[in-house]
Parts: sequence; C-alpha cells; structure tokens
Amino acid sequence: MAELSFAWLGERIKRQDAGSVFLIAPLAAFELVFFVVPFLILVRMSLNANADPGFYQPAWTLEAYRAVLASGLYRDLVVFSFELGVVATVIAVSLALFYAYAAYRATGLRKSLLLFSIILPLLTTLVVKTYAWRPLLSPNGVLNDLLVGVGLLGSPVQFAPGMVGTVIGQVYIVFPYAVLSIYSVLSTMDWDTVEAARDLGASRPRSFLEVVVPEALPGIAVATVVSFAWSVGAYAAPSQLGSGAQTTFAMEIESLMLTQFDYPTGAAFSLLMLAAMLVVSLGVMRLLTGSIGGVEGV
Amino acid sequence: MASVTLSDLRKEYGDLTAVDGLSLDVDDGELLCLLGPSGCGKSTTLRMLGGLETPTDGDVHIGGDAVTDQPPYERNTSMVFQSWALFPHKSVLENVAFGLKMDGVGEDERHERAREMLDVVEMSGFADHDPTDLSGGQKQRVALARSLAIEPDVLLLDEPLSNLDKRLREQMQLELRNIHDEVETTFVHVTHDQNEAFTLADRIGIMNDGQIEQVGAPREVYDDPVSLFIEEFLGDTNLVDATVTETTETGVVADTALGTEAAIPTGDAAVAAGDELTVSFRPEELDVERADGGASDGGASITGEITDVLYRGSSVRFYVESAGEHVFFEQSVGADTDFAVGDTVAVSWDPDDLLAFAADGDRVGGGGS
Repeated sequence: MAELSFAWLGERIKRQDAGSVFLIAPLAAFELVFFVVPFLILVRMSLNANADPGFYQPAWTLEAYRAVLASGLYRDLVVFSFELGVVATVIAVSLALFYAYAAYRATGLRKSLLLFSIILPLLTTLVVKTYAWRPLLSPNGVLNDLLVGVGLLGSPVQFAPGMVGTVIGQVYIVFPYAVLSIYSVLSTMDWDTVEAARDLGASRPRSFLEVVVPEALPGIAVATVVSFAWSVGAYAAPSQLGSGAQTTFAMEIESLMLTQFDYPTGAAFSLLMLAAMLVVSLGVMRLLTGSIGGVEGV
Repeated sequence: MASVTLSDLRKEYGDLTAVDGLSLDVDDGELLCLLGPSGCGKSTTLRMLGGLETPTDGDVHIGGDAVTDQPPYERNTSMVFQSWALFPHKSVLENVAFGLKMDGVGEDERHERAREMLDVVEMSGFADHDPTDLSGGQKQRVALARSLAIEPDVLLLDEPLSNLDKRLREQMQLELRNIHDEVETTFVHVTHDQNEAFTLADRIGIMNDGQIEQVGAPREVYDDPVSLFIEEFLGDTNLVDATVTETTETGVVADTALGTEAAIPTGDAAVAAGDELTVSFRPEELDVERADGGASDGGASITGEITDVLYRGSSVRFYVESAGEHVFFEQSVGADTDFAVGDTVAVSWDPDDLLAFAADGDRVGGGGS
C-alpha cells in the first residue's frame, strides 16, 4: 500500500479525473454540513423578524440589520471590541516576535523548553486557564500581595475584574498562536545573514530591524491577523476577567441568542461583524506584506 | 589595509577545544590562506578574527590595535561567508550598500559606491536584481562586493568558493587573486582545498587540531613540509615504513618495507639505529623504466610488477608491488612509455628527494627543521 500516500492523493486531485472528485468528496461533505449549511441558516435567520415572546417570526426583512446599525449601545460595544483587539494584538505580537526569536536562537534543552512551554497551555481548556488568572489578579490576589509587599503599590489595585485583567487574559490566549506563526517563518532564516549584518557594522538592535524583522514579516502578518480576529471577537477573557465595562460584541451576541432569545438580531450582528473583520483582516495583511509582494506559503 | 597578529588564541566549547593556542602573523596587504581539514579550527579562527566568536583566551590585534573584545560591528573587518549570506529582502545594490548605510553614508553616495563595487566584480548589470534569483557564482561576486564596499582593513573569506562547481571555482580563484592585487587589502582566506590555497596564497598556514603546523610560501611548504601530517595533506604520496640500520655522514641508511635498503638524507638530526621512520616517496620524484631482470643499482631503486592501472583523466596512475608493499607513480596520458598490468619495472629515485618523518610525525632532517 505504499502508493496510498498524500503525494499520490495530491496527484489524483491535480489530474481532476472522476477519481479525484471521489477523493475530495469527504472533505467537501464535511465543509458543507458543518460550515456552509450553518452559515446559510444564520443568513436566513438574520432576515426573520423578531418576536416577543418567542425566538423569531418567519419573514423576509432587513429589520434586524437596521436595528443593529441604529443602536448606540452596539456601536460602543463594537468600538470597545476593536480597541481590545488592537491593544491585545500589539502586545501579543510584539512579545511573540522576541519570544520566537529567542526560541530560534536557543539550542538543545532550552529550545525544547521554550517551544514546549508555548504548546503546553494549548492542551488546557481555554476557560480553565483564563479563570486561573482571577486569583492572581484580584485585589487580594498574588500579584497585589507581591506589589504591595515590596512597596510598589500603597494599596491593592483591582486588575481583575477590569481592563488590565481582560487584556492580560486575551494576550495570554493568543500569544502561543502568534509565537508559532512567527517561529515557523523565522526557523528558515539563515543565521549567517544576521552575522553578516553585524559584520558590516550593524549593532544588535539594528541587525534585528534590518534583517530579522523583514524575514519574519510574513509570520508577523499571520500572527497579527490571527490575534486581531480572535481578540476583537474575544469572549472568554472579558467575560471572566472583565467587569461590565469590558463587554465585547461577542458577549452581547451570546446574550441576544441565549438570554434574550432574539435570534434575528443576534444573527444579523454576527454577520455584520464577520464582514467587518474580513475587510479589516485583508487590510492588515496587505499593509504588512505589500512591500514584500504577498505572503508566501500562507 | 592592516597587519593581523593572533597570539596564543584559544577557543573552547565545553570540553571541545576548537583552537588550541594558535599564534599567527599576517602581513599588511598579504593574501594568507588558512588550510586544513574539516574540524581543524580554521573557520573558528577566522570568526574570532572577525569578532563573531569571542576567544576563550589569547589576543587579536589588527593594525596594531587590540580588538579581542570588540564586537564585529566595531571592527573594520568584513567576512565573505560560505553561504554568502546575502540579505534576501534587499536588492543586489542594497546588499552591497548595506555596510555604508550602517556607517551613515547618504543614499546617493552609498549607491554610487556600491555600483562601483559591482563594477569591480563584474555584476553591474544586476544592481536591481533580487539576490535569490542569482546563480551561485553571481551570489559569490555580490557577497565579495558587499564586503569590499566598506573598505575593510582585513577581508575574511570563509570557504566562499566551496559551493561552486570546479570550473567556476578555478576561474574565481584567479579573479580573487586579481581583485586582491587591485584593492591591496589584507585577505585571510580559509579553505580545505590544497589546490585553492596553492593558487591563491602569498603564504599558506596549515592547521591541524586547532594549531598552526606550518606557515610559509606555497612552494616552501610543499618542498619542505615540517611534519607527516602536512606531507599527507598536501597531496597523494607513497608513505613507507623504515627502520634505521646505520647512521652515515649525510644521514642514515634504513631498511624499508619495500624490501630494499635506502639512504635517507636526515642531515645532522638525532637519529639512531633501530629508530622507526616513515619515508615519503613522492610519485613525481620516481623514475620508472622497464626492467629486464637486471640487478638494481645501489639501493636507490626497486624492481617490481605493475598490479593496477588507474585512469584519472589527464593522468594514469600505476601501482607497483615490491615485497608486498605497493608504491604508485603517475604518467600523463599519451606519454611514450605505456605500461600494462604484469609488466616488471624498475623504480628509482634520487635519495635527496626522499622525506623522512619520525614516529611522532615530525620531519627528520631537511631545511625546515
């Protein structure tokens, strides 16, 4: 059965004969059942009218979209969601660039440890590891005890629930993905080029900017889009580590669907945000990679 | 332009000693080749010269200034890497102008000077190309131009020709020589290829086990190797064991494994009867003629049968067996005498051409010791 390899599958699919359709069928069926159909249901739902009491009133109307776009509350939630997205992304991607560089430079046990400690959190449930920040960041938590103990703070500060906790929690969630995106690109970099830059008179920071960053740019673009898309749509971190002021649009949609039972508005809000995120993500990709002619291998 | 002095240089990686107390002087404007097998520490030495490695011990002086603790970006040395290490996201022109940019030279001036440098390496037509589109030979030229653009005191070359095919490599060796004559900069060139070192170098420093074994002009090193290691490394030769039987006025007589006694010019070196020697019979010093069963004359020859004939392109190598030992000699293809397997030949030599080495590998006698 040596023939039955991925290369063989790829060849068959490239030839586009009858057999290749058969080979692609399971994947196509999966996409259809789990992505296309639910998405169409969501689109249809957004065109229904809302009903009180009840989940929705069958109809063909844009009323739900009008309601979302007209709401000042929703606009504030969206603005906050984007703010959180920008802040969490900038912090996560900046830290990830240095972490990935450190992992690239490390050898042996240290390299394994750096990479393993990035992958380990991915094996834990998102909710549990986010919730674990609560005792660390609360007013009588570990961080406050430490800062007050060494005299940096006069009295405890409420990091969580609050904005600081939300940002920390969100950065913590997206950081591994940002690191892995950048590391995967950096790992192919020829270290000689960095040495060559230093040899030609570039200081360490300068050689990093001139050689490492351009090399890592495709990875930085992917890390940015992943972190940003996820952070704008943040749910776990703001709901567990935020106060009422840190409500994202995702939390509002959850409430619309599961508490207020307003399906059409929830669906319309989701689709509008999906469209907005698509536009912003494409813009970010183009901005970060335009200068080097597209993201290769992504 | 500057001279280079390395004194008692050491580099250890944990338990491994890569460079072991190396001292070397490179003259101003000289092209010195560091030659040695893989793992002998030649690249590490070069990297310490460039500041890319910090010596465990010892000093590096360039142009009389101590630079041992200076980072690479503060030294006016420049390295051409084996992988060439061109910046993939910069154009050829930007690559060559990079060092000047780091020096704060304005864009117009640095681009002009980079173009001049590309002219020197005959790559002026490629200024706007992406380095990833270039062939190996072209990358090599760009890397050379990039390093020369900053007008380094010392240019360091870390086997930059080893990734090129044979023809291109030989062409680049000559061009590198010409460029060296043109820019009058001190070059330190690392290679494991003897031919490259002989072609390029003003002087060759042969390294073994983290130390310099011998430094000298190519001819001098070849004619007068100080150790068995160098004799073996510089070219194929016949190494034959011998035991000293008596000492004479000009040397010794030794009983060789070829089954004959041979006079060996060991000069006034301290050799006594019973000492074990290794004697090098260089193939180019052997005279061979068809033997007709006549007796050999005076010990400076052997008679044996040709057992193997090896065609090596432009030359043919013949193996002759005598007393169970094999020695080989070579002839150009098309030479008059045409030996075949089974022929009996007489192989003779001039005793002055023999090189003898003691059991510890040091040369016995000869001008070098």
